[in-house]
Amino acid sequence: MAEERFPINIWINEDRFEKLKAAGLADMCEEMLAGLKVLRVYCDEAERDKVLKTFPTAKYDSATTKSIELLPKDVKDKIFDKIVEKKSVEIMGDFLNAY
Amino acid sequence: MAEIGHGGKEIVERIMEPAEAKKKIAGLTQIPIRSQIANEVIGISYGFFAPLEGFMGKADLDSVCKKMRLKDGVVWSIPILFDLSDKEISDYGIKKGDSVLLTYDNNPMAILEVEEIYDYDKKAMCADVYGTTEEKHPGCARTYGYQDKFLGGKITLVNRPKINPPYDPYFIPPLEMRKRFKEKGWLRVVAHQTRNVPHTGHEWLMKGAWFQTYAELSIEKPLVGVLVNAIIGAKRKGDYIDEAIILTQDELRKSGYFGDHNHLTSLTFWDMRYAGPREAVFHAALRANLGLTHHMYGRDHAGVGTYYGAYDAHHMLESVSKDLSITPVYSMNWLFCPHCGEITSEGLCNHKDEWQKFSGTVIRSIVQDGVKPPRLIFRPEVFDLVMECADKYGFGSPFVTDEYLEKRIPVFSIPSM
Repeated sequence: MAEERFPINIWINEDRFEKLKAAGLADMCEEMLAGLKVLRVYCDEAERDKVLKTFPTAKYDSATTKSIELLPKDVKDKIFDKIVEKKSVEIMGDFLNAY
Repeated sequence: MAEIGHGGKEIVERIMEPAEAKKKIAGLTQIPIRSQIANEVIGISYGFFAPLEGFMGKADLDSVCKKMRLKDGVVWSIPILFDLSDKEISDYGIKKGDSVLLTYDNNPMAILEVEEIYDYDKKAMCADVYGTTEEKHPGCARTYGYQDKFLGGKITLVNRPKINPPYDPYFIPPLEMRKRFKEKGWLRVVAHQTRNVPHTGHEWLMKGAWFQTYAELSIEKPLVGVLVNAIIGAKRKGDYIDEAIILTQDELRKSGYFGDHNHLTSLTFWDMRYAGPREAVFHAALRANLGLTHHMYGRDHAGVGTYYGAYDAHHMLESVSKDLSITPVYSMNWLFCPHCGEITSEGLCNHKDEWQKFSGTVIRSIVQDGVKPPRLIFRPEVFDLVMECADKYGFGSPFVTDEYLEKRIPVFSIPSM
């Protein structure tokens, strides 16, 4: 059975979209919820637990969306920057090494 | 005509007229109370908690814990307690038979007739009420935080709270609420319990409950209303600020997603216990007192973490349904289906592989990221008002911060007498 993965939704505001376009990465976005652009960054279980421990405001929405939400915006900005730098959404292991 | 509340008892406001109150409080020992107790004094004295006339004595508490009923057999699920330490009781010189004056904001609020002073095993209380003794359960944490003695006895309000703007239009006590329902001509009213700014999933929960409640009634004129009853109490950092919650709920009516003919917003002061099934039963009693005929319950109503199963509250409500004067309306989740291009119920749509579920937490996350959600998900009028509330009341944030907790406008104050 495939290992369960838990997304962090990086919602794409205008500022982030401009950066993605500039990096040629605008196509990485998915569309969700009637037109919202989002980058979905996936954690495995250990990474999810580390995110929740490292950033106490974060919440795992176990009831509805099974996603990790409410990370501080500055943390999401850093995750976003890492995505742009690596041109990939498979960056959480790398990102969490700094914590 | 008598207004009959939960348990078949008449709702009587326990409020003393000012002239009499001034005489009665003279010379009484004054005991300052914290916000939870002040909230519950309001709940008792205005009849939100009918048939309770005061803080519970030991026999009621024991019966509530073990049988989920008051000692007279009326269904009641959550202990309503006034606690003091041994030292406080000694320092104040309180004994059974005394009347004491409860003060809030350094002003007189209510008289407590001390009928008994007792202790109770808090761990056993937690096990009975919350189904766990774990301190991380917020209801248990609140219980363990009580002082070691409880004072039971009747409460009489001697000084009406001043409900501060912008909350003032939304404080509608049971007797007044029932008048409003009559004026509106509503034969049935369904409660929407909330502590949230509404997204369209919430909006459709209300609309779905309205359809369910309407059932066989004539459609020739509006006969059914939705009452949004926002719970206003202790806040946690990261929650939406209270001003945003109450004003955005009403905004759904003002912006035409509902209308005066079918929607009313109100508040109740209560510090949530997150007791899941037992809190659901408490909500049934509370809303029955407000004059509601129906109550909407979703999955894991008033639960927290993984303490309760998704339908535990429904099962507990069914177990006491004959003793409740309110009909539960069970609601399935609403979600966005890109195939349908609309918000739909998981009980209706069969594009299961395409469903996009969303929650209040996800919407908060979107807003925190500086993104305006689409109108199908979050109404633009609601979004704009959330942002306005952030500026006007939230010190720049629509979410509770340390600054908000320190400087916020109190929901109510107790005036001097």
